[in-house]
Amino acid sequence: MANDRTDLMQGTLELLILNTLARESMHGYGIVQRIHETTEDLLKVEDGSLYPALYRMEERGLIKSEWGVSENNRRAKFYKLTRTGQRKLEAERANWNRISKAVSKILQAT
Amino acid sequence: MKIGIPNPFTFTSRQKTAAEVAEELQFHIDMLEGKFTQSGMPAPQEKAAAVKRFGDLDNIKNQCVNINRRNSLLRRMLKTFTIVLAFTGLSIIILASDYKVTRIGTMLILISLFGRLLLHARGCVGSVFPPRTRERSLSVINDTPKYT
Repeated sequence: MANDRTDLMQGTLELLILNTLARESMHGYGIVQRIHETTEDLLKVEDGSLYPALYRMEERGLIKSEWGVSENNRRAKFYKLTRTGQRKLEAERANWNRISKAVSKILQAT
Repeated sequence: MKIGIPNPFTFTSRQKTAAEVAEELQFHIDMLEGKFTQSGMPAPQEKAAAVKRFGDLDNIKNQCVNINRRNSLLRRMLKTFTIVLAFTGLSIIILASDYKVTRIGTMLILISLFGRLLLHARGCVGSVFPPRTRERSLSVINDTPKYT
């Protein structure tokens, strides 16, 4: 059976990445797994597409990367939140809450 | 006639960036492969499934290398510009005898210092040049998830 997918609004992936990295530094694979686990596979992050998003976020100074050793003793690139990223996360969280509250109100009104 | 000789440092730097991106992406594919092996997928299929699940490797790699290079190139250019500005300002202060002219030199140095501060505060470059975002990379699954 084919999956029926709905693309999410812009900025959502960035918010999810920021939120995932707020707890601990992680490599790309870990970020995807964490998002899938937390959402019980309801949200699907395209594995490869994550990386351009990560690089863009690093370019903007929201996250920074450093090479480390993974859980299976391999060299891996770990990402962590910067102070700018922390501020962006707080702003985006507030924004998301406002939007979802507004949409909920509209849906309840009809 | 001027002959265009590629800068060996630029070439090496791009190669290094490309190698690091390739290593990072390969790590992800290998982790996927391991996951599929654990889930009981037959050996010949797991690698193909991991590559398929990951997506267009070459395209993703190119995107990452370009973003990385763009980031470092832009920063290098801005850093060089601030240094040139500071030296110009200093030269004006040293060489000029008129007070009004030396003030221009002081202004240039102040501008370059401000530029360096902006560069130091990470994220300022990104906000000046906002990224183009394409968000086909995240979706809600409205049915039973299937990942191969």
